[in-house]
Amino acid sequence: MDDRKPAALRAGKPDRGTRMASLVSAARQGNDDALGEIVTELTPVLWHVARAVGLSSDDAEDVLQTVWMRLLSHLDGIHDSAALGGWLVVTTRREAWRVRAEKRTQLPADQELFAELPDQAPGSEEQVIVDEQRRTLWAAFGQLSRRCQELLRIVAFVPRPDYAAVAAVLGMPVGSIGPTRGRCLAKLRALLGHHPEWSPE
Amino acid sequence: MTPSDPDGWSSAYEPLDDLDLGLLDAIREMFQAADPMPADLPQRIRFSLALRGLEIEVARLTAEDDQPVLAARGAEQSRTITFDSDSLTIMIRIDVNRDGTARVDGWLAPPQRREIEMKTVADELTAASDEQGRFAFASVPRGTAQLVVRPVEQGPSGSGPSVVTPALIL
Repeated sequence: MDDRKPAALRAGKPDRGTRMASLVSAARQGNDDALGEIVTELTPVLWHVARAVGLSSDDAEDVLQTVWMRLLSHLDGIHDSAALGGWLVVTTRREAWRVRAEKRTQLPADQELFAELPDQAPGSEEQVIVDEQRRTLWAAFGQLSRRCQELLRIVAFVPRPDYAAVAAVLGMPVGSIGPTRGRCLAKLRALLGHHPEWSPE
Repeated sequence: MTPSDPDGWSSAYEPLDDLDLGLLDAIREMFQAADPMPADLPQRIRFSLALRGLEIEVARLTAEDDQPVLAARGAEQSRTITFDSDSLTIMIRIDVNRDGTARVDGWLAPPQRREIEMKTVADELTAASDEQGRFAFASVPRGTAQLVVRPVEQGPSGSGPSVVTPALIL
C-alpha cells in the first residue's frame, strides 16, 4: 500500500514546493492519495476564498466541490505548486462570484446581503476575537473596502511561497524583487498606524 | 486609486516586510477563529473525488412482486423489487405511508455496510446499510426514484464499486 504512495508522501518533509510538485505529478497519473493530500492542504484556502466573496456555508461547499472536480480535467496543464494554487484560487473566486450573482438576482434589488460576514449572529465575531490586538485589527480591517477585505483574506491563507503567483492573478502588483505590499495592505497599515503593536519599530 | 485616498500610494509598491507578514498571519488567525472551515470538508471532497474514478456497476431489475396486503386501515400495496449487479443484489420493499409518501426497506446481499443514496426528482436522500446489509428510508416522495449504493468512506468492508439501479416509480 505504502509503496504506491509518491515519494513525497513517504519521505519526511522536503520543502513545500518540491512536495507539492511531486503530489501534482502523482495526482496527474491517477494517484488518489496524492490528490487527497492536495485537497487537504488547499481546501482551507479555498473555503476562505469562497466565503470572502460572501457565499453561505452551503454555497461555499458546493463551489468547492465543483472546483475540485474541475481541477481533475485541468491537471495536465499544471506543473508546480504556484500554478496549482493560482488556478484553484482564481477558479474558486470566479465560480463563487458567479453563484453569488445568481443568488443576488433572486433577491430584492435593494437588499444588502453582505454587509457583514454571513452566517454569524451580530457580535459573534467579537466573542471569538478576545485578543485585544485582534480586536484592533478587526476594527481596522472592517474599514477597508470590500474588495480589499476580500483580497487580504484570500492572500492571508495562501502559502507564502505561492503568494506572488496568487497575488498576481488577483491583480495585486508584484515587484521586480517579489511580492509588494499592495494598496490594501498599505491602507491597512495606515489605519493601524497609531496602534503601537502594529507599527514598525 | 483616487487622490482622496492617499494612504496606500506611498508604500504600496514596497516589498513585503515583517510587519506585512505579521499582519497577514493575524488576518489568517482572525478568520480561522471567526469563520472556520468545517473540519470534515476536505474529507468530504476527497470522498467525492475518489468516487469519480470508480467503476460504476449498473444493476438490473430481476424480480418484481406486487403483494396486496390487508392491513387494519384497509387494503395497502406492498411491492418487493430485486436488482442484481455483478457484485451485489439489492432487494427493496416499498410500502405506502399514511401521508402518501413511500417507505422503502432494503437489504444488500452479500450483507455489507454501504452508503445508500435515493435520488428523487425533488431531492437526494441518504442512508447507510448496517452490518447485515439492511437500510431504510422512512419517507420518500412518490414518483421517480433511483438508488445509488456507494462504498463507505473508509474501512475494509464495502469497498467495492458503486452500484446504481435503474430509475423506478414509487
